[in-house]
Amino acid sequence: MMLARVADSLYWIGRYIERAEHVSRLAAVMLNATLDRTLEAAQTGRIALAAVGEVDTDRGDQTYEAARDLALDREDSGSVVVCLARARENARQVRDQITSETWERLNMLYLRVVSHSPDEAFEEDPAGFLNEIIADLHLFKGAVDATLSHGEGWRFLALGVHLERAQLIARLLEACFSDRKTPTVTEPMALMSLLRMACALEPYLRVYTADIDPKYILEFLLFDEDFPRSIRFCTARIQDLLDQLARRTGGERSDALRLAGRLDARLKYADVEEVESTGAGALLAAVSAECAAIHEAIYETFVAYPLELSLPA
Amino acid sequence: MSSNDTVARDTAAEEAPPLTQPAYLPGVAFDEMIDRDGAVRPHYEVLQDRIASLGAEELEERQSTLERSFLLQGITFTVYGAESATERIIPTDLFPRIIPAREWAKIEAGLSQRLRALNMFLADIYGDQKILMDGVLPRALVLGAPSYRREMHHLYVPHNTYANVCGSDLIRGEDGEFFVLEDNLRVPSGVSYMLANRDASRRTFPGTFRQAGVRPVERYPDLLLSTLKSMTSEWRADPQVVVLTPGVYNSAYYEHAYLARLMGVPLVEGRDLVVHDNRVFMRTTSGLRRVDVIYRRVDDDFIDPLTFRRDSALGVAGLFNAYRAGNVVICNAPGTGVADDKAVYAYVPDIIRYYLAEDAILPNVDTFLCREPAQLSHVLANLDKLVVKAVGASGGYGMLVGPHASQAEREAFAEQLRADPDNFIAQPTIQLSTAPCLVDGRIEPRHVDLRPFILSGEKVVVTPGALTRVALKRGSLVVNSSQGGGSKDTWVLAEEPRA
Repeated sequence: MMLARVADSLYWIGRYIERAEHVSRLAAVMLNATLDRTLEAAQTGRIALAAVGEVDTDRGDQTYEAARDLALDREDSGSVVVCLARARENARQVRDQITSETWERLNMLYLRVVSHSPDEAFEEDPAGFLNEIIADLHLFKGAVDATLSHGEGWRFLALGVHLERAQLIARLLEACFSDRKTPTVTEPMALMSLLRMACALEPYLRVYTADIDPKYILEFLLFDEDFPRSIRFCTARIQDLLDQLARRTGGERSDALRLAGRLDARLKYADVEEVESTGAGALLAAVSAECAAIHEAIYETFVAYPLELSLPA
Repeated sequence: MSSNDTVARDTAAEEAPPLTQPAYLPGVAFDEMIDRDGAVRPHYEVLQDRIASLGAEELEERQSTLERSFLLQGITFTVYGAESATERIIPTDLFPRIIPAREWAKIEAGLSQRLRALNMFLADIYGDQKILMDGVLPRALVLGAPSYRREMHHLYVPHNTYANVCGSDLIRGEDGEFFVLEDNLRVPSGVSYMLANRDASRRTFPGTFRQAGVRPVERYPDLLLSTLKSMTSEWRADPQVVVLTPGVYNSAYYEHAYLARLMGVPLVEGRDLVVHDNRVFMRTTSGLRRVDVIYRRVDDDFIDPLTFRRDSALGVAGLFNAYRAGNVVICNAPGTGVADDKAVYAYVPDIIRYYLAEDAILPNVDTFLCREPAQLSHVLANLDKLVVKAVGASGGYGMLVGPHASQAEREAFAEQLRADPDNFIAQPTIQLSTAPCLVDGRIEPRHVDLRPFILSGEKVVVTPGALTRVALKRGSLVVNSSQGGGSKDTWVLAEEPRA
């Protein structure tokens, strides 16, 4: 049993944390790739910007400025600093529900990114700045797993993380393989950058060896059962988390659970050959749309449910 | 001045003792550490020895470690500027203020006597009003007070305990005697700073802490929870308790979250609660759950827009009716403010005598009621010596410190006094006692007060500790955090130091 408002905040902490980590990684990979003055490098910049929904992907040429904005632009609701500020604001609102270890980890990260002239720190060592944020976010997630009870609150937080992650990876793959504005990515260097953006390079190599092929990349990031950033992995977690939440809160017949189960099945029983021959566009679009629907349904089921239905007789 | 020499002699053996450069020089006020003859008081010796053995640099270092830890824990308030909001920590001083066992015993007895009497007073004035019939204090003064709530008339309050949590402000005058300056029976705050300061001082002076034999304050949260639970003991053994906060933008939000976390109960906002059929529920992920006890940190005016202020969005519509119906307990009860009204304050010794047939153990500060014409003219004639306070205001607002004010300020205030004398009281200016504080790398005396916390449910419990508030500006007598005050830990010793 927990307050609906608290569950909502914990869910959003998960979402914002995951988004901050993903955007930091996109910016870091983009900066690193464009140290080479090649066409592939420019393409990497465009992928990253397309993946965060930037319209003007030609900014891929000015990667330093683009990366700085992704990290520090306070006007941009998708920037790392805004995501961290919102995650922390949500954490403050549920300060009584999370452990001191978790709170202090997030608060420290926030203070570092906000208070101590972050622009200078970024200018001094942009890659170091971004990688440190990613490492701190891993510490935060570690503290969440190691110190919070894995009960309802923890599940809402994890639900936010995995739903956000599924959508972010789907968007990244769409930007590479099914976006009309950007040509399909085929260059090996750019493909490696794509894997790095999904934090997937090393795990991919262990499965497919150094055979960098768009077909395998899609297969890996869509369907791999064990890799924590594959969409299949995320949907399985979402379904599992919602199942346990529904059991405990008496919401077994909720739309959220039904939609999550359907999405999970769609990935679990997908015809990989067919996806590879016809392109992943339709499937990726469906993943994005269904994640959005699950998000709505979670809100309806656990947070903004109509009071009349739950009043005691 | 002799204190200079004495301190220098005491610490001459130490290398570069910070106390001697320049010496710690208390003024005319009573000093907590150094007595009139310049000798260190026995209960301060352990701390003084430790301070003297640490260099100025080491002390600064410990101070900044302390501040960093407060920042990290989020013990902050937000200052909204033009560009962005920045967070500041509540100024905190690293040296604890020490109170010997014998003095504490008197404080404890005095506070619990006072709260017992004030709860009886509240039960009476919201009940049969015997004290008013007997003319102990003027009827108009009580029933006309803005904090008097007619809505509370003849309403059942368990154990007749209206104020469950009280934070009284004590000060020490020039002769070293403790006085009660103010009672806070509405929504007193500061207890989380007492606990956070303690946590910090245990880390700043671990050895000294052990050596001194300090009584623990850490049980406050569980004592608070059992106090709140005791309010339903007659009909429900294990009630659902919640803490009601105005929300994250309230300056005491840290404290609300802190207490909820350490009591293990939900921290709710008004929007989390609904009243149906005169019962209170909270919106949870698994539907509505019944709430039995609300420890509210929202002022009377804002708890229920249907009963009190209609423009309040912080409260819960229908809450007061649920309370009247006996389906929920609100702690502190609405209407307790009348007992800490600054004019009623003047009568507290009479109130204690009336209900308990005892003399007040802790004296009041002399108080002139401007509503009495004779006292008003005395106040007007002596404005340069008195502190004048508006009856309804708190937090150091609406106040004139006569000796520190300019002639023009005093004249302007005199106008206000003549226009609305009922709204003012006056007290002699008391030189609050001073305690050593680290200010810009030097140890200097600063004026302090003392806010202990008293819990009252089925029984009264005084936590052996307090929030010591510090007026950080040199010479200032105003300790309120809204007026640039800070705080420090308070060590209540378990035993008298060996002579």
